[in-house]
Amino acid sequence: MPEPVPAPILELQDLEVSYGAVQVLWGISLSVSKGQVVCIIGPNGAGKTTTLNAIIGVLKPTRGRIILEGQDIAGLPPHQRVQRHIALVPEGRHLWPGMSVEDNLMMGAFPPAFRPRVAHNLEGVYGMFPRLKERRHQLAGTLSGGEQQMCALGRGLMAEPHLLLLDEPSLGLAPILVDEIFQFVAEIVKHGVTILLVAQNIDYALQVSDYGYVMETGHIVLQGASDMLLNNQHVQQAYLGGSIEEPGAYPASQPAQG
Amino acid sequence: MTFVDFLNLLIAALLLAGIYAVMSVGMTVIYGVMKIVNLAHAGFMMMGAYFAYELYQRLHLDPILAALLAFPFFFLVGVAVHWLLVRWLPHSDRPTLQSLLLMFGLWLVLQNIGYLIWGNTDRSILSPRTLALVHLGPIIISSLRLVVFVAAAGCMAVLEIALSRTWFGRSVRALIQNRYAGRIVGVDDEKTARLTFGMGIAFAGVAGALLATLYSFDPDFGRPFLLRAFVIIVLGGLESVSGVALGALILALVETFSILFVPASYQPAISFALLVVVLVVLPGGIAGLWAKRRRLA
Ligand SMILES: Nc1ncnc2c1ncn2[C@@H]1O[C@H](COP(=O)(O)OP(=O)(O)OP(=O)(O)O)[C@@H](O)[C@H]1O
Ligand SMILES: [Mg+2]
Repeated sequence: MPEPVPAPILELQDLEVSYGAVQVLWGISLSVSKGQVVCIIGPNGAGKTTTLNAIIGVLKPTRGRIILEGQDIAGLPPHQRVQRHIALVPEGRHLWPGMSVEDNLMMGAFPPAFRPRVAHNLEGVYGMFPRLKERRHQLAGTLSGGEQQMCALGRGLMAEPHLLLLDEPSLGLAPILVDEIFQFVAEIVKHGVTILLVAQNIDYALQVSDYGYVMETGHIVLQGASDMLLNNQHVQQAYLGGSIEEPGAYPASQPAQG
Repeated sequence: MTFVDFLNLLIAALLLAGIYAVMSVGMTVIYGVMKIVNLAHAGFMMMGAYFAYELYQRLHLDPILAALLAFPFFFLVGVAVHWLLVRWLPHSDRPTLQSLLLMFGLWLVLQNIGYLIWGNTDRSILSPRTLALVHLGPIIISSLRLVVFVAAAGCMAVLEIALSRTWFGRSVRALIQNRYAGRIVGVDDEKTARLTFGMGIAFAGVAGALLATLYSFDPDFGRPFLLRAFVIIVLGGLESVSGVALGALILALVETFSILFVPASYQPAISFALLVVVLVVLPGGIAGLWAKRRRLA
């Protein structure tokens, strides 16, 4: 299997996760290089969100290793992982509706070591999302869908992430807002933040990313440089409007890159 | 009823609301963060009453001062109880039978410890302040109730500031509103739960000590107040200090003004009747009403 050239910031090795007796991830291995955007695509229920939740630590893997910047963090609770500057912008945003926008953002810098730079980072986030600044005293529950997604992105950025986990940032948004959100993602990339992106909007995801993994029913079935995946027959047929086939019909674990 | 009578009742209700709020808010924060209905709250209120009683009897400490000392003391008790017992409960986003049984059992244990140490005779704290009155023109206020109210309102104000302005407070509100979101931004939910449990028990102790200056008590003290706390929580919702304060005010008003219409012997039934009415008519409490209006708007 080809090693990506720059040093990996995150590596998953043979990760297995279960909900109670139901196993959902069956040995996920993937690698995210510093400065890259890597995406995970795949159908509903494939295990993408589960993977990100295992990385941030709210789910405990039953097997496998999670190596962040050279150290295995699989045994650490979430608050000790977040201290190492990984942030998750979760599917469904998960803001605190009864707290102000500013309190929501500030909570993104909750670990004590992050707090001295809260004011500075708030300014940075407000610079990127002026609309949040206008509404900073409003309750987050009163924001529109697009603004809530901005707030969730902003909260993630407050942790000065070395690695940002983005789960379906455009889910449920009107097409015009989807554009806007992905422009923000592009801007975050320009700041040099490494991103692991899960997106239903596969066209977008593969255009914004350098490398991609295709996940189906808890397995990585395909991986490769994003432009190659865009042209891959299986991806074309299953996800990009080609005739939809049974996902299982394609040989599993075949890398698209030689 | 003259206007002066009305004012007297109104003031009495307001003063009562302060102590009602303090006795309910501890249950609220514990429920909010841990989804545990702390039935043992009544037991800790009883212990708070005896805490003030012992300090008054042995050291002649002013019971109001004892109530303030109850905060750190019962905070440590709460942290210890959490560490010994509560943290072993299964984690859940809704109340579990295990947690109900554990807290009920803990209440019984506390009660029996109370009987063991103090027997079942009624005790009360009679300080020089007990019978003193403040006259404001035609309005007469018990100075003790006034002092208790000030102490209670002070506790609520400190809590509100702590919850809105400190990192600990923000983490408590975050876990109450969305536990998962709290965890992914790095809130140590175990630690926050431990401190919250300590804080909730501290409020129970303070409330018990303050109540002990107003009422006589025995080791079963707390039971009628537990029911009142339920009513207040159902009225005010489980998520905010202001909700609790509002619920406390409503119950105090209803109880106080009901003496005009209901014979005194039926008084204990008032809070229960209110609980039933609220559950039937307004299952979401006042907060639910608000939320509904906001959705409609
Ligand atoms: N809390 C849970 N308890 C039990 N099973 C769960 C839970 N969350 C997810 N699952 C199951 O795990 C599998 C993977 O779910 P996951 O949410 O990770 O998929 P996903 O790839 O993110 O899907 P989507 O595109 O719909 O977000 C699904 O079969 C789902 O039903
Ligand atoms: Mg998902």
